[in-house]
Amino acid sequence: MVGKYEIGAKAYLKAVLHAAKYKTCAVNGLLIGRVKGDGLDNFSLQILECVPLFHNHLALLPMLEVALLQVEEHFSTVDGGLQIVGYYHANERFDDFELNAVARKIGDHIIRYCPQAVILMLDHKQLAALPKSGSRKPVMQLYMRDVSRVWKQGGTTAELVFQDTTTNNLLEAYMADGRQRLVVDFDEHLDDISKDWMNRALFD
Amino acid sequence: MLYEAKGQWQQAETKYQTLLELQPSDAFAYKRKVAIAKAQGNLGAAIEALKQYLDTFMADQEAWRELAEIYIALQKYSQAAFCYEELILMETANATWHLMYAEVQYTLGGLENLRIARKYYASAIKLSAGKNLRSLYGLCMCSAVLSQTKGRAKDEEGTELQSLASSVIMKKYKEKCPNKARLVTSFLEKQKL
Repeated sequence: MVGKYEIGAKAYLKAVLHAAKYKTCAVNGLLIGRVKGDGLDNFSLQILECVPLFHNHLALLPMLEVALLQVEEHFSTVDGGLQIVGYYHANERFDDFELNAVARKIGDHIIRYCPQAVILMLDHKQLAALPKSGSRKPVMQLYMRDVSRVWKQGGTTAELVFQDTTTNNLLEAYMADGRQRLVVDFDEHLDDISKDWMNRALFD
Repeated sequence: MLYEAKGQWQQAETKYQTLLELQPSDAFAYKRKVAIAKAQGNLGAAIEALKQYLDTFMADQEAWRELAEIYIALQKYSQAAFCYEELILMETANATWHLMYAEVQYTLGGLENLRIARKYYASAIKLSAGKNLRSLYGLCMCSAVLSQTKGRAKDEEGTELQSLASSVIMKKYKEKCPNKARLVTSFLEKQKL
């Protein structure tokens, strides 16, 4: 699999702020975007949007299915038609870097509809070190599925890059501001229907 | 707890073990042992410690709930279902336990479990006076999957239940979240087909 992987500011910020909001929980969400080029060689995957999903009981199916169907339908009419291109996951514990089994399962499901789909695992250590390191790379580990259907880390041949290299500066500003308190995930929407899982007002 | 905060798990565990030998009915020490196992990511040990605690304190709802959550995280849904069964027996009128039991049964999958899930989503709706959105959605999803199974006699009660739940969901969205009403209506229509 040879491809280019890009992530837009909106998608990245929503995902990381979601994890920052629920520091003591595992969180997950969907990545939305488009793929240019067919097949598994020489394609370009752009992650443009993100829908934070759950911070409780990530391994339960019913609400995940409701979310998948609604998200898919909504984004098919946005921006010329976007699709679910991946899944992000942040583990519960700070020192846990293992690709979670639930993440793998959901990734396997998404890949049936988008063969180039990816899993992004939040890298807590990189996030914590961000103020000092000033890194211009996403604080995430990219996983792609190879031909033997095993999820492997991208490595140097498949790196995730920002569309806008100043995205991490924005992230730090938002976190200092406490913007993560305003992130709404699907879990919250199910508990309070007036909350917007599309997070349209988040960056106003 | 100081050892715990410092991450010195072995010393902390030894201390709690000593406390338990001196006073076997110390619930706090049992729970801290579970917390230590969880903090180290050793969910298997956390389960064992919780089971030990529940052998003595079997009426502790929080503990059963915690055990269920750990089982779910490990995708051991049958065991999680057992925990929720205990909780339902302890607190029959609490909609949450019915809802969680239904969610686990749905996740387990299979005709029989889906029928059970639908029953418990329905009782969660009843106990929450129709306010719980998850149980309404869950009922629609169960009915949609069950009605798609081929070779079964038409399940009229199921279809009626699904219609009722759908109309309550649509009403809620129109009232409190009109910008998503169209999306949800379309989603529900697709489930009915």
